[in-house]
Amino acid sequence: MKTKKVLVVDDSKLLHRMFEMMLRGFPLVHAFDGREALDRLAEHKDVEIILLDINMPRMNGLEFLTAVKAHPEFARIPVVIITTEGTEDDTERGMQAGAAAYVKKPFRNEELLGVIDKLTASPAA
Amino acid sequence: MAAREQLPSRLGSALDELRATLDRAAELAKQLTAGSTPGGDLDSRLADVEADRDELSTKLAEYEHQVQRLMNLYVATYQLHATLDPGEVQATIAEIAINLLGAERFVLLFWKTDNAGDGRSGECEIALAQGMEDDKSGTWQNGVYSGGDPAVDATLADGVLRIGPIGGSDALACVPLAVQGATVGALVILKLFDHKEMLRAEDRDLLDLIAAHAASALFAARVYSNTDRKLKTLESLVALVRRQ
Repeated sequence: MKTKKVLVVDDSKLLHRMFEMMLRGFPLVHAFDGREALDRLAEHKDVEIILLDINMPRMNGLEFLTAVKAHPEFARIPVVIITTEGTEDDTERGMQAGAAAYVKKPFRNEELLGVIDKLTASPAA
Repeated sequence: MAAREQLPSRLGSALDELRATLDRAAELAKQLTAGSTPGGDLDSRLADVEADRDELSTKLAEYEHQVQRLMNLYVATYQLHATLDPGEVQATIAEIAINLLGAERFVLLFWKTDNAGDGRSGECEIALAQGMEDDKSGTWQNGVYSGGDPAVDATLADGVLRIGPIGGSDALACVPLAVQGATVGALVILKLFDHKEMLRAEDRDLLDLIAAHAASALFAARVYSNTDRKLKTLESLVALVRRQ
């Protein structure tokens, strides 16, 4: 089966490490803010799904999401918002801006893997 | 049917083969019939297989749960000791509290030492406060905790981990921070995110880990930071002396 490349955008080193453990077998691309994530996307055009935090320095998750959805090449990539309680407004805005799903922290492996499987399953499957 | 000896030899042998084949077929048919009659046996075997499947599925869920628990502990420990920058260690403690425990409001306390540096001043420095902007309790103000919450005071005094709700206390959990057996502070969790109703059994492991590792990681980072600063000062002085 073809492995899906995942872009992880979060300013928490702990979560990057966590995703490395959770998503073993998935090639990961790491970015710590929205601006860096746009650079990584330009380098890795085969990214199939983006896991996105909202509160980040330089360029936050919502700004990044808006930029991705406005980009002709990247707009197709499903974005999952990784959110904490208390940021419902941001999550709502994210869903309106084109996010495909959201997952609340702290989350379980199977919860996140289920969302990724669902969003990256081929239409024929 | 003609006598066997009257038939050409090839035909005779073919007939023998045919008879043997028919006998074998009759035997197999008998076996099949005998095998299919006890339908109850098949049903019970199916029930066994289903029971095995359910048991395996339960065990798989348990293993996944254990894997998640161990992964959280590994990642938390790894990150706590991955840096010698005190600010980063503090940030990691906050990230563990938010991302792994689901804490929305918490404070990180450290005993303040008196001016001579040889004893406690009786109050704690609030090294880190998360989600406390609108706190009106008056307990956590101006970067100092002077006592007043019974659970926090008890944990700071005896170094015992307390998980609430605790009578008279706002804290859901008071985690002692120990270095070489001495309690140097506490992590006080005051509120969880709404979608996390309570601290679970696996959270206890994380709280124990914080109690054992957070303070020592922070202490090591502070010692390194101080030593590094002194070393740089000395190197500058040596360089200055050499130039003169």
